[in-house]
Amino acid sequence: MKKSALELKEVTKVFQKGREPVRAVDTVNLLVEEGELVTFLGPSGCGKTTTLRMVAGFELPTGGQITIQGEDMTNTPVNKRGIGFVFQNYALFPHMSVYNNVAYGLKSRGEKDDAIRPKVIKALQLVGLQKTENRYPSQLSGGEQQRVALARVIVMEPKLLLMDEPLSNLDAKLRLHMRTEIRKLQKKLGITCLYVTHDQSEALTMADRIVVMNKGKVEQIGTPFEIYSNPQSLFVADFIGHANIVKLEISAIDGETLTARVPGGKSYAAKALKPDKYQKTEVIYQQGKQAALIVRPENIQVVEKSDDTGRFPARVISSIFVGSHIEYELRLENNMEIKASVPYLTGMRVFEEDSEVYALFDSSNSAFLPA
Amino acid sequence: MQAYDDPSIKPHRRYAEKEYLMHGSMKRKSLSKTDPALFFALVTVWLSFAVFIFLPLIRLLLTTFIVDGVFSFTNMKKVLGTGYNIKALYGSLILATAVSITGTFLGYLFALAVTRTNLPKILKALLGAVTILPLISPPFTSSISLTLALGPNGMLLKAFGIGDFSIYGFLGTWISETLTYFPVAFMVITAILNTMSATLDDAALSLGASRWRMFKTITIPLSLPGIGNSVLLLFGASLADFATPLILGGHTFPVLPTEAYLLITGMFDLRGGATLSFLLLVPALLVFFLQRMLLGNKSFVSVTGKNGARTEFAKLPTALTAFIAVICSLLVVFILYLYAIILWGSFVKVWSVNNSFTLDHYIYVFKHGKKAISDTLLIAVLSTVIGSVLAVVIGYVAQRKQFIGKRFFEFSSMLNYALPGTVVGIAYIIAFNQRPILLTGTLSILVAAYVFRYYATGIRSVVASLEQIDPALEEASLSLGASSVHTFTHVTIPLIIPAVLAGMRYLFIHCMTAISATIFLVSVRWTLLTTRILESMTELQFSQASAFSMVLIVIVFIADAVMLYLMKLSTSKFHKSQEISYEKVGA
Repeated sequence: MKKSALELKEVTKVFQKGREPVRAVDTVNLLVEEGELVTFLGPSGCGKTTTLRMVAGFELPTGGQITIQGEDMTNTPVNKRGIGFVFQNYALFPHMSVYNNVAYGLKSRGEKDDAIRPKVIKALQLVGLQKTENRYPSQLSGGEQQRVALARVIVMEPKLLLMDEPLSNLDAKLRLHMRTEIRKLQKKLGITCLYVTHDQSEALTMADRIVVMNKGKVEQIGTPFEIYSNPQSLFVADFIGHANIVKLEISAIDGETLTARVPGGKSYAAKALKPDKYQKTEVIYQQGKQAALIVRPENIQVVEKSDDTGRFPARVISSIFVGSHIEYELRLENNMEIKASVPYLTGMRVFEEDSEVYALFDSSNSAFLPA
Repeated sequence: MQAYDDPSIKPHRRYAEKEYLMHGSMKRKSLSKTDPALFFALVTVWLSFAVFIFLPLIRLLLTTFIVDGVFSFTNMKKVLGTGYNIKALYGSLILATAVSITGTFLGYLFALAVTRTNLPKILKALLGAVTILPLISPPFTSSISLTLALGPNGMLLKAFGIGDFSIYGFLGTWISETLTYFPVAFMVITAILNTMSATLDDAALSLGASRWRMFKTITIPLSLPGIGNSVLLLFGASLADFATPLILGGHTFPVLPTEAYLLITGMFDLRGGATLSFLLLVPALLVFFLQRMLLGNKSFVSVTGKNGARTEFAKLPTALTAFIAVICSLLVVFILYLYAIILWGSFVKVWSVNNSFTLDHYIYVFKHGKKAISDTLLIAVLSTVIGSVLAVVIGYVAQRKQFIGKRFFEFSSMLNYALPGTVVGIAYIIAFNQRPILLTGTLSILVAAYVFRYYATGIRSVVASLEQIDPALEEASLSLGASSVHTFTHVTIPLIIPAVLAGMRYLFIHCMTAISATIFLVSVRWTLLTTRILESMTELQFSQASAFSMVLIVIVFIADAVMLYLMKLSTSKFHKSQEISYEKVGA
């Protein structure tokens, strides 16, 4: 059986904020396989960094257990864990040259100088910085500093590579470039990696799996595809890729399909999701109550007035032509506003402000969640 | 909901929180086990506080309030029953108020001149240089030169043909203290004027404000915290000043520090002296607390070189610039004149009577003052080294660690610094005059007095520097497998070295030039240059006093230059300059 690289069991962190205890991380469970890149994604304050820092050993959990490669490390000091940590601001030692920064860990491990040199050079080559060894961090660009920080960590061949928003201090273009660089390097070295970010596109493009966190709790764990196409909660739906959330009254329930009243129109049917957090037998949808319909802007078409089933009468608030797409803002009859992103085909009709239109939701790409 | 990984929360706060929780939530293992290094440091430092800060202060209070074994106000009544002492209390407060106002005013003008005008570069450089002079001079330099200029046979008096004038009294003391302390105001206010955003000026002007209106509505209101801080600092400094009123106050204008000194050295009335210094302690502590309230926990640190690409501040209205230029130039000329007088005075036979050139006074200084010079140097070097080590430990512990009683720890460390030197000096002779800790007349009592008073500048500069250093650097070291001791010696220490040197620099200057506390502690065995200057002054040997002063100024100047060079050397490797200027350190 494949040994898990990291296991978090019921990991909890409570901070004392004044007199109020705050659960910054709340019973988090996670199993990470060897060689996997897992991102922690969530808004500021969701507990993702605290979780990462507990894995690193900078924080000690209030409760729960952290196992690295089968070894209980819950209370092991940072310097005995064999992890590598890449900081948001790189944390390069400003008083040491690039070479000495990269060699720092090997030296504190007590390795001989002649053994250190080839390793450092190799690590610098890996990140494409072999010529900078004598420079000081202040003489490097942001992207170069970032790479030195990476080299400093991978030269240690850590069991786990932990990265705390490593790209957030870089400009947009460099960020895109470094994303792929890091991912390539991580795959090449086969190193297990936890990666904290608040940038969803970073998470979606880099991760094998994403852990979406909110208010200290794990909302959902899954592959980027699962997270995007099958959100298990309103939070995930909203946080990843800006979904429209339309609250509707349930008119009929038939197995996994739910039918709801369309304001000013007829009815709309789509599959109803049952998030993992609910018990199997728990009733979460009831006739006459509300449910939240999740539909992404790209799964909405905007058509001329007609009154077929499943269409939502709406009024155009704004329409912006962005080249490949037309971005509509629509107001439904119940005054809810939604966004639609319609691919532009030559000769297509572009509706103007105040036009009366119908929004056509793709029912195979929309789903109900508990309101 | 607490945004824990909110990037707006400073990393060092996170770190602090983390430590707190580690100790708070970890089923309370004793500190000696979880962090033996911290435990050891705390025990050592608390013990030294107990002996050198609390013991003297408690003995002082006991001497003041315990008569024949019972609590009593007898001493207080006796002291306050004397009209002359009431006059001294009143004089102290009036003088402090006057000095804090004039000093801050002049300091503000100087600060504006340097930061907000397009005066010639040379003049600006001169302004800066002139403000450094009083900082590296013994505290009564300006008193001596004022005496030479405006005292009996004063040069200026003769030049203007004024016969009947006495510099002694309130006026002389006020002028001299203003000259001595306005550089402090200058530095505090310059710092705050520099941290303002120049875009605010631009915004005001672009909204149609005149330059006067901009000055009144933007510059002044935003510099109020600096002004407030400066007023408090100067009030405290003047309240505590001992040397100036001793030379210039005369009989007509008594103040508390000098009265306490005269009671003790002249009448051997330790109780009276203790009681008077208690009177001094109350307003001093009040100022200390007000200042802490005003600044909160914010330090006045601005790391230099950070705002490379900022725009220029808008210039002041022309009339104001002209006014500033005139006042500042006059002051610069006056100060340079005063220093020139001392230099000249040290080379003439008898001041104003026989003005022929002689080296006699310097020969005297190096012959009979050799011991004072070597003693002073030894004491200053010892105090600087010990004080810096303590400052690093205390500053590091206070900034990076969490432990029970931390606030009290910080407060205690600053206590001797906040108290007027006279109070500390009297407390020390009372406390260490008897067993079990008999230190009177020794080297240790002088070193201790300096260390626990002036290491404060070192502590502040270490704390300020650590605040600038992201704890992520230390975490990076730990995560790369280094132990916490290795991290401290290889990452933390190299990064705070410039700050430590800055602290050492001021510690050394203070130890070379201070007098108020140590005047009570010198003895035949150990004497100081400053006390020799005072002796010469009281014996009316003005030229001798000038020669001593010049020697002292030159030594301090050389030492200061060496320190500055070392600081430059230590920062040259990495750009992020850690230079910490005087005002942040609280002057």
